[in-house]
Amino acid sequence: MLQVKNLKTWFPIRRGLFQHTVGHVQAVDDVSFALRAGETLGLVGESGCGKTTTGRSLLRLIPATSGEVLFDGKDVLQMPESEMKPLRRDMQIVFQDPYGSMNPRMTIRSIVEEGLIVQRIGTPREREARVREVIHKVGLEDSCLNRYPHEFSGGQRQRICIARALVLQPRFMVLDEPISALDVSIQSQIINLLVALREEMGLTYLFISHDLSVVEYLSDRVAVMYLGQIIETASSEELYANPRHPYTQALLSSIPTMDETRRQKRIILHGDVPSPVNPPPHCRFCPRCPKAQEICRRETPPVVQISDGHTAKCHFANQ
Amino acid sequence: METEEIRSRGYWAETWLRFRRRKLAMLALGYVLFMGLVALFSPAIVGTKPVVCQYKGKIYFPCMGYFNARWENAIFFQDGIAQRYPVQLKEKDPESWAIYPLWYNDAMRRVVDDEMPGRPGNPSGDLGKPSWMNPFGTTFYGYDVAAIMIHGTRIALLVGFVSTGITAVIGIVLGAIAGYFGGWVDMLLSRLIELVMCIPTLVLILAFIAIVERPQIWHTMAIIGITGWPGIARLIRGEFIKLKQSEYVTAARALGTGQFRIIFRHILPNALSPVVVPISFGIAVAILIETGLSFLGIGASVSSASWGRVLSEGRANLSMWWLTFFPGLTIFLTVLAYNLIGEALQEATDPRLRGRE
Repeated sequence: MLQVKNLKTWFPIRRGLFQHTVGHVQAVDDVSFALRAGETLGLVGESGCGKTTTGRSLLRLIPATSGEVLFDGKDVLQMPESEMKPLRRDMQIVFQDPYGSMNPRMTIRSIVEEGLIVQRIGTPREREARVREVIHKVGLEDSCLNRYPHEFSGGQRQRICIARALVLQPRFMVLDEPISALDVSIQSQIINLLVALREEMGLTYLFISHDLSVVEYLSDRVAVMYLGQIIETASSEELYANPRHPYTQALLSSIPTMDETRRQKRIILHGDVPSPVNPPPHCRFCPRCPKAQEICRRETPPVVQISDGHTAKCHFANQ
Repeated sequence: METEEIRSRGYWAETWLRFRRRKLAMLALGYVLFMGLVALFSPAIVGTKPVVCQYKGKIYFPCMGYFNARWENAIFFQDGIAQRYPVQLKEKDPESWAIYPLWYNDAMRRVVDDEMPGRPGNPSGDLGKPSWMNPFGTTFYGYDVAAIMIHGTRIALLVGFVSTGITAVIGIVLGAIAGYFGGWVDMLLSRLIELVMCIPTLVLILAFIAIVERPQIWHTMAIIGITGWPGIARLIRGEFIKLKQSEYVTAARALGTGQFRIIFRHILPNALSPVVVPISFGIAVAILIETGLSFLGIGASVSSASWGRVLSEGRANLSMWWLTFFPGLTIFLTVLAYNLIGEALQEATDPRLRGRE
């Protein structure tokens, strides 16, 4: 359903009186992946690795520099605004900070209804019915409709944001760290809600998160990002059982676990993530990689096919 | 499916609730509203023109002449009435009747003996101490100070509100355009803001008055308005720059919301709260500029009733303390009231104090 090819989103750095460009932040650099209908892809990586920028570039909330995003075979990035608007019904997004993503001056009714108004769907009466339906669907009551965002708890706010996205009956949703800002006790409720909605409405998710255990629970496939690039992709089970990229291995070893059998030696990475303005030229991970060799600094690592659907971008992925 | 729906408080209702807690600000608000009423009804409170009268079989409202000389019906000028209504109306038409303002006195001329049966005229020279007939005293020429103060409220408030209104409209529109569109539009408008900021309002008014043959009060308002907007424009520009990148604007874009709706529904209502305070202070500043001008005797309102005019007469007649005291006190209280309101609004809208609870 969704195919992303060589997506690049670079932000120019402007300086001086005439605002000339002195460099680029390579937030997303050559990212490709595909999503089948009904599938959930988890996108993981540490802060600043470009996960969020990827999600937003897909929906054209941030202009991409180059690449293709094919949704049902049509390139979203090249589309004129007139075609983009109806397409937005099909592609929705839920943000990390539910409070920040709601206009504080609007009631919950107008927040949820806005998509319908903007897309000119239904009469006022039909819209009202649909708003109520979707509010029930996310587990809230009618009584919340006339209230304002600041009167709700974090979990409720995130439910409202999910309702706002669902009201347009999308097929594809970008979930941009939807649970990171919530209390742990609330996180599981929202995850269960997302799973239930996926079953009920046949949704396709791009689930962006830095929480590896949640991604494992929710996703069919997982893509690991580092410094603007996807470095390993595999099905959930495969990735967690058999990580091949040294960064994925380090990442997985950092998951706290109660399970003795899964406990492994912690791989500690040294140094900081290099600047995305001036990333290492070949393997972007090699300055911190425990397995780095001469070749990593000389040649760009190939995308190595490990098994069906499992690829890693490393010279030593097969060892 | 009848669920009880809770109507909860919006932003301004919440602000009002917080504002109300401040007693002094409420007092100031009461004072400002009282001033507004006084300005609106000034011709009916004090004056020498009937509020309503029947003359030669028709009903007239000559007191409207205080708002605008043209609103006083021409028939009275033709019949040579226009002043001293009480005596002259009866002379020209014994059948006539009239209802006079609460208090018979005039801001624009001296009331003399026998104008109204049984009422002595105003004292003149330096004899016009405050008395029962003239509670705030009279000027050197025998005009009643209290009457001038009451009619002067109109000019003071008009200047305050009209010039601040101009300021707010220009500031909000230009600031919004600069902040939303950014790029070279922002670059140009920002330079314009800096340019206008450098123009000293008073000097421009003085220059204008020197050039124009018959300066009017509107000119003063326009100049205060046209030179006062950069502060508001800057605030609005900053808010727009901040809010156009906010998550809820991004969320609105994800829904397919058009630019127009984003600007007017999402950004503008949230960008307005910081300018409420400068608008309130702006009213006080405009009133001060106007009274300052007429104090110097160069305002457009030299010939009309204004607070500053009494002050300037007080400067010429220092022994007549009431000419300085009463207008000075009124100006002080008015400016203080607007400042108190502004300050209370500042606290009522302060996001750090409001919290997210």
